[in-house]
Amino acid sequence: MGTTLTRAARSVTAVACLTWLCAAWAQSPAVNATEADQAKQQAAQQLAQPLNNRPVWNEVRSGEPQYTSQRGAETNVLIQPMGQTWRAARVPVATIGGFLFVLTLLALAVFYVLRGPIKTSGAPTGRMVERFTLVERSVHWGVAITFVALAVTGLVITFGKSVLLPIIGYTLFSWLATLSKTLHNFVGPVLVVLLPIMIVLFLRENLFRAHDFAWFKKAGGMFSGEHVPAGKANAGQKLLFWLMVVVIGITLCVTGLILDFPNFNQTRATMQLANVVHMVAGIAGTILVAGHIYLGTIGMKGALDAMRTGYVDETWAKEHHLYWYNEVKAGKAGGEGAPPLAAPQRAG
Amino acid sequence: MARMKFLCDAERCIECNGCVTACKQENDVPWGVNRRRVVTINDGVPGERSISVACMHCSDAPCMAVCPVDCFYRSEEGVVLHDKDLCIGCGYCFYACPFGAPQFPQAGAFGVRGKMDKCTFCAGGPEKDNSEAEFKKYGRNRLAEGKLPACAEMCSTKALLAGDGDAIAEIYRQRVTVRGKGSDVWGWGTAYGRPEAPKQPAAPGQPAAPGAKS
Repeated sequence: MGTTLTRAARSVTAVACLTWLCAAWAQSPAVNATEADQAKQQAAQQLAQPLNNRPVWNEVRSGEPQYTSQRGAETNVLIQPMGQTWRAARVPVATIGGFLFVLTLLALAVFYVLRGPIKTSGAPTGRMVERFTLVERSVHWGVAITFVALAVTGLVITFGKSVLLPIIGYTLFSWLATLSKTLHNFVGPVLVVLLPIMIVLFLRENLFRAHDFAWFKKAGGMFSGEHVPAGKANAGQKLLFWLMVVVIGITLCVTGLILDFPNFNQTRATMQLANVVHMVAGIAGTILVAGHIYLGTIGMKGALDAMRTGYVDETWAKEHHLYWYNEVKAGKAGGEGAPPLAAPQRAG
Repeated sequence: MARMKFLCDAERCIECNGCVTACKQENDVPWGVNRRRVVTINDGVPGERSISVACMHCSDAPCMAVCPVDCFYRSEEGVVLHDKDLCIGCGYCFYACPFGAPQFPQAGAFGVRGKMDKCTFCAGGPEKDNSEAEFKKYGRNRLAEGKLPACAEMCSTKALLAGDGDAIAEIYRQRVTVRGKGSDVWGWGTAYGRPEAPKQPAAPGQPAAPGAKS
């Protein structure tokens, strides 16, 4: 009998898991007709088998809300079984995610050692081209600072227990985790405000064009060293924009808001699902951003200056973003008002 | 050494909420926090049952497993306790707990969570037994005084049993044998796993008695 029960319990759990995944977002209240039906069944049960409480316990395990006089979030639910699923799901997500993150950092280090920073072939001309306006740069750095703060604090909360805690001890790690949690919860909403602005500002230059496929085929010359022509954003940057900023960014913002504001009486099932999605998206985002930060700093000469000062050398523009450079030369890029071609000289 | 457990006899609980009140009184819990609650199934229809629920001090406690700062610990008597000085108020234990035991006093606007508070089986916390600091953070340490949790001691129908798992299971077994019904031990499968569930007496009229469930 024991094995049958175990098997039955297992299948109940499996079905419940599926139901949870489908219904977690919907949270539809129980239909009145079903409730009335259950009551009728209960009454019949009392007559036929007065000593059998089985239907009662089935109801308890279902996680359905019952009656309680205590106020509070889900106080009327006796057993919420999905916490076990959430607990189990966190382990592989964090393990695989953490492994991939470390692997990414190692891969970037190896790439740097083998390939070194990407440089321009020609000598700098000294003539500067405007690449990013002050508004674009401000929004970029706003998003950059908030995202890095969120990524670091998120990593501390997720992996600190197994990585930092054994080294720095309980008291110090608890202090660090409190700081991380508070920062994460307060910086998060700032990103929610900045991200849509970034999407609007950078949307047009990130629309895919026909020439982007040629860029993909050559992997942007990443390994060959060839300078593949590109628009203002190359295909890799466009992919990063759509994947990282749009898809992952919005996912993180939505799930983050669900987790950050528990005062709207969202159920545990919603928060459990949001937490797992937030973890997956967070780790994926951190990995992509690690690649972006590498290419924007030590991976490519002149890239950081573009976002710092807003200007790049003509040689850099010609070699890395030829189509955009031609547009700038023709006075088309940037829309109204051609950017000043021979604007400020390089500071350094 | 005893292994402390709670057992709620659904055939006896009359939903008087005496346990809830006893707990609040004994432990002086923060405003807005109830460490124990009574839930009624099939309220007002035939087959109505009430159950008093709080932290069950699970054998493989989910809260303990998911806590990002590892603030939980298990006492020698199997009571799951936590250190409020380490707790960061992230709410993960609340997501993981099947019984809805972890509570969070609201610490600020927009539902900002304070440090988690939950049933301690009246066993205090990591501070010195019966010290003022311990009482302020965790409530009374009755186990150190040689007493059982206030909720079970207060229970007027003795529906809520607290104490060594084997001892309370034996009391329950006798009850089931005498009254011939209600062999299901609520929550034990979830909290303590199947092997530790008490032996099922064959109840009359219930040849294929369902095992300890939920």
